[in-house]
Amino acid sequence: MSAAGGLVMRLTLEIHPVTEMRVGDATALQGTALSLEREELRRSLLEDQRLHAVDLEIVAPGEACRFGVVFDILEPRAKEPGAGSDFPGILDPITTAGRGLTHVLRGAAVTVIDETAPPATGKIVEMSGPAGAACPYAGLHHLIVVPHLQPGLSRPTVRHALRLASVKTAVHLARAALGQEPASTEVLETAGPLETERRGLPRLAYIGQVHSRQMVAEVNEQIFYGANTDGMVPTLLHPNEWLDGAVVAGYFNMGVETYFYQNHPVILELYRWHQERRITFVGAIATVAASDNEDRARNCMMAAQQAKWALGADGVVLTKYGGGAPHADMALTARICEELGMRTAVQVNDMSRDRSAESALLFNYPEVDAIVYTGGSDTEWAAPAVARAIAGSGTAAEALAAPQQLAATRVCGVTSQQGMARLRSFVY
Amino acid sequence: MRIVHYLNQFFGGVGGEERADISPQVREGALGPGRLLEQLLPGAQVVSTVVAGDNYAAERLDELKAAVLAQVRDAGAELFVAGPCFEAGRYGVAAGALCAAVQAELGIPAVTAMARENPGVDLYRQALHIVDSGTNAAAMREVVQKMLAVAQKLARHEALGKPAEEGYIPRGVLRDEFVEETAAQRLVKMLYAKTVGEPHESEFTAASFPPIPAPAPVADLSRATVAIVTDGGLVPRGNPDKIAPSAATNWGAYDITGLSDLRGQDYEVSHRGYDTRYVEQDPDRLVPVDALRELEKEGVVGKVYQRFISTSGLANPLANSRRLGREIAQKLKEEKVDAVILVSA
Amino acid sequence: MAQITSVVPVAKMVGANRVIQGHGIVHPLGNPELAPAEEKRLREQILRQALESLQKEAGGEAPQG
Repeated sequence: MSAAGGLVMRLTLEIHPVTEMRVGDATALQGTALSLEREELRRSLLEDQRLHAVDLEIVAPGEACRFGVVFDILEPRAKEPGAGSDFPGILDPITTAGRGLTHVLRGAAVTVIDETAPPATGKIVEMSGPAGAACPYAGLHHLIVVPHLQPGLSRPTVRHALRLASVKTAVHLARAALGQEPASTEVLETAGPLETERRGLPRLAYIGQVHSRQMVAEVNEQIFYGANTDGMVPTLLHPNEWLDGAVVAGYFNMGVETYFYQNHPVILELYRWHQERRITFVGAIATVAASDNEDRARNCMMAAQQAKWALGADGVVLTKYGGGAPHADMALTARICEELGMRTAVQVNDMSRDRSAESALLFNYPEVDAIVYTGGSDTEWAAPAVARAIAGSGTAAEALAAPQQLAATRVCGVTSQQGMARLRSFVY
Repeated sequence: MRIVHYLNQFFGGVGGEERADISPQVREGALGPGRLLEQLLPGAQVVSTVVAGDNYAAERLDELKAAVLAQVRDAGAELFVAGPCFEAGRYGVAAGALCAAVQAELGIPAVTAMARENPGVDLYRQALHIVDSGTNAAAMREVVQKMLAVAQKLARHEALGKPAEEGYIPRGVLRDEFVEETAAQRLVKMLYAKTVGEPHESEFTAASFPPIPAPAPVADLSRATVAIVTDGGLVPRGNPDKIAPSAATNWGAYDITGLSDLRGQDYEVSHRGYDTRYVEQDPDRLVPVDALRELEKEGVVGKVYQRFISTSGLANPLANSRRLGREIAQKLKEEKVDAVILVSA
Repeated sequence: MAQITSVVPVAKMVGANRVIQGHGIVHPLGNPELAPAEEKRLREQILRQALESLQKEAGGEAPQG
């Protein structure tokens, strides 16, 4: 029993594996086969007046299929009734995420396509071939949602409609698991700084950026418990809250999908070490990369201060969001952590187009010397034509189906900023 | 394999610092470390050895280069070896220059070895595979062995493995590879090691940039011509110079004669790294023509240069940025501009 | 040259000698929340700092903006 007594942050995930997804007369989970009654879901999505039609497609692992532009990918999950809100602040009222029982359709995904995004450079998922082998989403059964929007909507409005469709669909699907016996159960629990029975173990924490001010958050861009993060300062966010719907991907989402907030690679790895009693996972802090020098100085200082004095961390993993500039925020935070006596490891994204090491980094602090470098700039595939492509329109799908060079940065998850990347650049 | 070998006066057995002035001498066959080349690689033959003094090499590098290139060509060499040089600075710089020249001008593989601290490393690490010799000349045999291994791969046009595996000093070239562990697993493992004080190996070491000498202050701003330069990608509507929104390879100069304010309808932004709506609304937020005109009127600055200069600074390789910077500086110098305000997004 | 930027650490890392704080990555010389006249005054104020730094020996700390 943890020192926190009865009121613990314990998230119980009931895992329902999905090995087949098909259209059926009712939305139901039979064993590991998920059937979907499309009309019911379509009706529910079309309650949003901003949509005039919705296409729903099912794609299986290994299929010669390509789809995009990806707005977001989510794991279908639903809270046990009474256990809390689904996507609090977006879909349901705000309650603390990360406690109680959540049903998970493991092996399934909901992928929402943005018909308004420029197709040539947008994010895609490749289900087969060498690019598929590198794509962490290729092994999943996807329900692809292609919302068609009323004409004349502003870009933020379009994306807000897509966001709503995404979370609605994810919860709708996962409710098929309610009342079903799970195949397995995962219990995630840490009392964070209140853990007292683990003396001597290194106390590790996570500081993750959830937005970058190089792109101004839209008023209706719901990222953090439904808020757009405007004015946000670094905030303690329990690891379970990250996993259970408190955070979703922003609109400028290079290398970020909600699926890997729900299955956050860094948080789950820290949990694994915690459960093996090699460390104590003392908690996590959500922050944003600033646009302004003073905001940057303030945010970095506050994130480090919280890691030190609220979490009592000995070491911190840091990741960033967005493009080049947020490296400066991440590195400055790490540097202040080091000054406060905490050790740090940071994940850097590949910014070197010419593959020279000198073009690669946007900071240089001697104490920030544990760097994980995810590559991507010189990885691409000559992807063959695919039998099936799913996109926002017929012409877009046709173009997407054609043989093409696929850059690693376009294929979802390959150059993940959330810690999922298996790609690494080596210095030769 | 026919080899031509370069040695300084010391390793060539001519003498110490007192003989550092000697001009290049060509000896038939192997000398000193060259004998190891023959011993360690069956079939290797050091056709000739060029020996020159360290000071000669430092002061008359072009002549030395010419002599060595001629010798390598005439000897029908299939490989050029220089050193190992260990910490000897002049020796290292010469060896690097000679290897680079042989490689570039004759297309013959060339290999040298130095300690990481040798000034030749900074100069030639990008152009060459420089074997890491360490600082101890007693390790000569192992160093020569590594040089031969690298040389053979170069001769066969085989891709070299990682620096640590092959024993050469990293050239600073990045190459992607898929690895077993996710970034998250690597992060936690690295952090754990660092936190408990175990050794950890960073996947990257930050580059240090040499200091840039600062120009002297502007003596009299009220008589100076001031130009505005931006990397924020502001261009006239239609982007006449087709400046790319990412990794731009060119820049443009845009006339502002007679303008006291930039209007959003006349411009657009070619830059994919930031939210450009605010600048598109009012370009003065990036290129402050309105405010600088006021300061011109007040006499704070003598004159606003008649064009603003713009490029897009997103994800630009450094070599490219340096070229753009040099070109822009050159242009502004020709135009007799005295001071520059660079605005970065 | 004086550089106005909202990512000061990067400017300093690459060796810029005269660095002035900008007012945000998305509007280094502006603030859309201000009235136009005030915004122009802000712009002028940052420019004055940059011009001032151009008249001083480089190497001292950049004026705070």
